[in-house]
Amino acid sequence: MRRTFLLLCWLATDIALFIAAYAIAYFVRVGFIVSTDFPLDKYLQTALIVAPFWIGTMLELGIFRLTRIQSSRKNLTHILFSCVLASALFTLTYYFLHNNFFSRLLLVYAGLLNLGLTLVWHIAFDSWQRKVLRKNPAAYPVLIVGLNREAESLIELLEEKQSPFKPVAILDGQGTSKTDIRGVPVLGKLNKLEEVIQKLKPSHLIQCSNLEHTINLMSVCRQHKMTYLLLPSVLGAVEGYGEQIEGKSFIKADHESW
Amino acid sequence: MQCFILAGGFATRLWPLTERRAKPLLPIAGKPILTYAVDVVPSELQITVSTNAAFAEDFSAWKKTLKRNNITISIEDAGHEDQKLGALGAIARWIHEENINDDVLLLAGDNFAACDMTAFLKLFRGRPLVAGHDIGDTDAAKAFGTIITKEETGSVLRTVTSFEEKPSHPKSTVVSTGWWVLPRSSLSVLTEHAAKHPDNVGGVFEEFLRRNIPIDCFIFGELWKDIGSFEAYMSLHRDLVGEKTLADPSASYSPDSEMKGAVDLGPKTKIMKSVLTDCIVFGNTTIEDCVLTRCIIDEGCSLSGVDLTDKMLRTGTVLHLKP
Repeated sequence: MRRTFLLLCWLATDIALFIAAYAIAYFVRVGFIVSTDFPLDKYLQTALIVAPFWIGTMLELGIFRLTRIQSSRKNLTHILFSCVLASALFTLTYYFLHNNFFSRLLLVYAGLLNLGLTLVWHIAFDSWQRKVLRKNPAAYPVLIVGLNREAESLIELLEEKQSPFKPVAILDGQGTSKTDIRGVPVLGKLNKLEEVIQKLKPSHLIQCSNLEHTINLMSVCRQHKMTYLLLPSVLGAVEGYGEQIEGKSFIKADHESW
Repeated sequence: MQCFILAGGFATRLWPLTERRAKPLLPIAGKPILTYAVDVVPSELQITVSTNAAFAEDFSAWKKTLKRNNITISIEDAGHEDQKLGALGAIARWIHEENINDDVLLLAGDNFAACDMTAFLKLFRGRPLVAGHDIGDTDAAKAFGTIITKEETGSVLRTVTSFEEKPSHPKSTVVSTGWWVLPRSSLSVLTEHAAKHPDNVGGVFEEFLRRNIPIDCFIFGELWKDIGSFEAYMSLHRDLVGEKTLADPSASYSPDSEMKGAVDLGPKTKIMKSVLTDCIVFGNTTIEDCVLTRCIIDEGCSLSGVDLTDKMLRTGTVLHLKP
């Protein structure tokens, strides 16, 4: 419910921002007297038609994923791409509807304003939504399996970055004397897995050790509709990410990361 | 004499097989490990099997499969490992609650021993008696509790001088096997010791030595295994099944499948176009186009197009490798 509300809120504000950016560009370029040669209503009508396509492009690029870091370079590039595409689509739509072109500078203003406002708003929204998503009960509770230094640094990272992925419990296959890591409780060995899942209902399971249990942990995740994540260090790699070769999926670790 | 079988452990090292099943109820060559222990106990002895609340129903169901009636299931009120009384604590509670004033044959439910129980019991002469298996390998002995005896070789009955738990430099290759006899005179020492050390069964025998109570040790060389790990479980499976396929009448494998080494197929298992080497399949499982080597597959799994080696798969695992 909370996630749906946040997403709808985000989409609605983005559409409003898009219209606002184009409206401001109109007034900056044309002036605050509504022109009869270049009517505002036709201009805004076009912006309204283009806005859903712009939103759709951003959705397709994963920009609205609640767990995405909005200030990352990849995300900024995606927003830039969407805004440029929206400008081009706006021009074409206006021409097709009204058989007319308009000031190129207006288009530049609209594109830049749209980009600037979207960037600022998305970074601000990200910061706010992280706090909302982490409120108990967390929207993305994470179960950590395996307690080692990699797991500890992962928990520290998630806590420091106020990540929407909130570690709620740790299970360790070997057993450990530690009772918690940065307030995240160590609840025992893998024989408590079912009980912990029933109780805490994690959305994600991150495997940080015990490679021999990978299939069984995936089986548990499948059964409980959880997302399974594997820390690359379990495979001996520092960094790893998905790669496809001829349509087949692989976990890739660049040679620089070994 | 009465028999008390310890079967209350949670066996975390055998996860995921022990996720919903007590270790002594793991099947081996067609029947649970615990059934092997019960089968060798003289029929006139009353048996009490001690387990925990988490597996109580399984043990009740297991009891119904047995021919003998003089078995009681004693439930320790522990749903989790951290609530356990401890093995010695469970014995002490049973002695107290049932007002036991008898010699006690104590067995570990997750140990398998192929030696003659009657011969073992015949050697009981009113002193604590332990069964020791000469593992014959100093390195292998490091993983177990070892028994140091007075006599070097020869007699099957020796006097214990000391015990060592998982020694880094074993002085003896005789390891403790989970078969003990406690004379009624020693039960008070046990309950007293259990109050302070509820988890350590071996510790009570060290306490006997501290109190100058002599302990006998019966040495045997027949097959013995402590089913504490995947490797031990697999090793016992190979020892008992041998180079053949043991299939439940309701299990089937297609002619284009190949069974190598020791393979145990449980009820309603269906194997098609697959190669299985030294595998245990608990039951209700379908395996198609797979190559499985030294794998233990729990109930209700469905596998196709996968190659696996040295794996234990949990109940309900679905692995279909898409083309």
